[in-house]
Amino acid sequence: MEVSSRRKFLVLSLSTLGALVAGVAAYPLFRYLSPQPTGGEKGRVNIPRAQVGAGQAHFFQFRGHPAVVLQSAPGVFAAFSAICTHLGCIIRWLPENGEFLCPCHAGRFAGDGKVLGGPPPKPLQAIPVALSGDNLLVG
Amino acid sequence: MKLILRFLPILAVWPLLFLLSAPAPAQVPETVCIQCHGAQSGRLGEPVRLWKGSIHAANGISCHGCHGGDPADMAMAMSPERGFLGKPAEEAIPGFCGRCHVGVKEDYLTSAHGRALGRGGPQCVTCHGSHAVRMATPDLINNRDCTRCHDYGRANEIKSAVSETDRRITELEQSLAAMHRIGIATREMSGELFALRNRFHRLFHSVDVEKVRSRTAAFQSELGTIRGRVDAIEEELKRRKLWGGAVVALLVIWGILAWLLHRSYMDDKKAG
Ligand code: FES
Repeated sequence: MEVSSRRKFLVLSLSTLGALVAGVAAYPLFRYLSPQPTGGEKGRVNIPRAQVGAGQAHFFQFRGHPAVVLQSAPGVFAAFSAICTHLGCIIRWLPENGEFLCPCHAGRFAGDGKVLGGPPPKPLQAIPVALSGDNLLVG
Repeated sequence: MKLILRFLPILAVWPLLFLLSAPAPAQVPETVCIQCHGAQSGRLGEPVRLWKGSIHAANGISCHGCHGGDPADMAMAMSPERGFLGKPAEEAIPGFCGRCHVGVKEDYLTSAHGRALGRGGPQCVTCHGSHAVRMATPDLINNRDCTRCHDYGRANEIKSAVSETDRRITELEQSLAAMHRIGIATREMSGELFALRNRFHRLFHSVDVEKVRSRTAAFQSELGTIRGRVDAIEEELKRRKLWGGAVVALLVIWGILAWLLHRSYMDDKKAG
């Protein structure tokens, strides 16, 4: 009787501990696999179309990071992260040249985000943009 | 013993893993400029030796990146036809360096230093040197160098205005580098910090102590935001260590309990 209750206690303790360890091990895995919050609808930014003239760029904050929306040709809009893909400086728009320039090491990007010259290794990261009435819906 | 022998090869490659995780310096191909000038002594070979320890060399920027020319053709390497520029005249130096360092050039040109260009005012090389150019620090503002042209009072004021922020930037860079070494994705924060550092260093070039003072608070608050994120990750790492320790302790207890259970069955077997 004493042996069997001791065994019961041991088995119970082993299962409880096992469950605890499994839980502690599974939690980081669960956290790693769960999708990151993207902000959903709320993460979108509404910009009045009138703020972005033809050939002009408008800089704004998108999900906490600098971004830019550009009207490269009448009615053609594109949005990008304004972070240079070289080392992370903030690009600027040169309307007279129709291109973006990074002031840190002269990285140049075209209006479609492609690298034109300088050290950036890849194009600017594009952000979806859609026209909705008089507004541009970015994100 | 066998177990130790089995793990020995892993232990042997362990330091190599650390080497792999360290940022590798950019590989600069051996150009004809380096082949020819590197083999020369004196004035013509000196630039190659100085450049080798520079931030440009570390980032893969070689002779032709600044001086133009054809780095793959010995005969035409220094031909103006292939864009060779040679050594710029003193007044042309800001334009020469400013082809890449666009922002700094703008701030310099509107500063008291830039306005005195060509009239004895300093240009990039006066403070940064040419081929041995290093990452800029406030130490470039010092009594010996500044007093070559004017007294040190105002320069010293600028130095004290920038030193604290610069120290915090350097500290953060070190924290990020340490996190990167253990495999944490720091690219985004490193980029933000690099951009901030660059804007802050542009501010030095205005050599306007009032401007530096008035903008310092904004830089410090941005730094505070990045520091907050770094601290949160460091906190999380500490928490993970704690939980890891707890799991190990639980596993040890689990092992002891399992052994006790096993022993109780073995005792039964012996008795029966
Ligand atoms: S950070 Fe933009 S070109 Fe270097």
